[in-house]
Amino acid sequence: MNTVVRTSNRSPLPQRGEEQRPLQTETLLPAVDIIEEPNALKLVADMPGVTHETLKVELDNNVLSLEGEIALDMPEGLSALHAEVRGQRFARRFNLSREVDGDAISATLVNGVLTLMLPKKDSHRTRRIEVQAA
Amino acid sequence: MFDDIKRFETGSPQQLDWFRQLLDGFLPDGNAADIRAVPRGSFPMINVARSDDTVRVYVFAAGLAPSDLTIDVQDNVLTLRGKREPVMGSNDDGSTPPVFRRERVSGEFVRAIALPDGLDAERAEARHNHGVFEIVLPKREELKPRRIDVQVA
Repeated sequence: MNTVVRTSNRSPLPQRGEEQRPLQTETLLPAVDIIEEPNALKLVADMPGVTHETLKVELDNNVLSLEGEIALDMPEGLSALHAEVRGQRFARRFNLSREVDGDAISATLVNGVLTLMLPKKDSHRTRRIEVQAA
Repeated sequence: MFDDIKRFETGSPQQLDWFRQLLDGFLPDGNAADIRAVPRGSFPMINVARSDDTVRVYVFAAGLAPSDLTIDVQDNVLTLRGKREPVMGSNDDGSTPPVFRRERVSGEFVRAIALPDGLDAERAEARHNHGVFEIVLPKREELKPRRIDVQVA
């Protein structure tokens, strides 16, 4: 279980500066599945090569950001013959809707697949409405 | 209230690949494609690198356990076979919940990639770490780089 870092007191300006990363670290967009469960939204992201140490999940003013460096144990002196993965890190951001309970988000990372459970606040959970007979 | 509408923006799956394919369509490079070349965004993605004495293949297969991937080498073609189960949610009553995005590839896949000649498949090894498989194929002795001493006449 990873803990979700919650940062909400950041001003927008330094955040913009932070996005100007060096060009050589090309960022990949991880493929995601998003599923609506009765009491939570489930987000599944493919981030192969990302470890617990290099993964960062942050919630900032309702913006969820996923970031992870690809940490491969490669020997020195390799030259590329063929490269489909041309980037060293994954990053993606989502706007959360207000019903998600930011304090209760949980994350697991297994075999390079990140699974986030975004629980809904009690007031937004699914209720079945029975149709009454007239 | 309108925040919820944003959830219905599905976008195109694998947006970057869609863009690359569009660019490729407008700007064909004119070179003949390799017979075994594949479009970007295939699953799993593969990188191949070479050192002095080995060729290393990196297979980016998130979500596969070591037993989920079959690796075969015949002549100099490496074939990867496997299956990845789709992630399904379930409602309390067992019905299928709505899905807003499904970009991750699931189901069975087979990919083949041509390797350089002169590899010793008998001594190949594979490791698995955090969803990346590393296949190490040593070069045959006769293909390793060697220094040739100039003999004194």
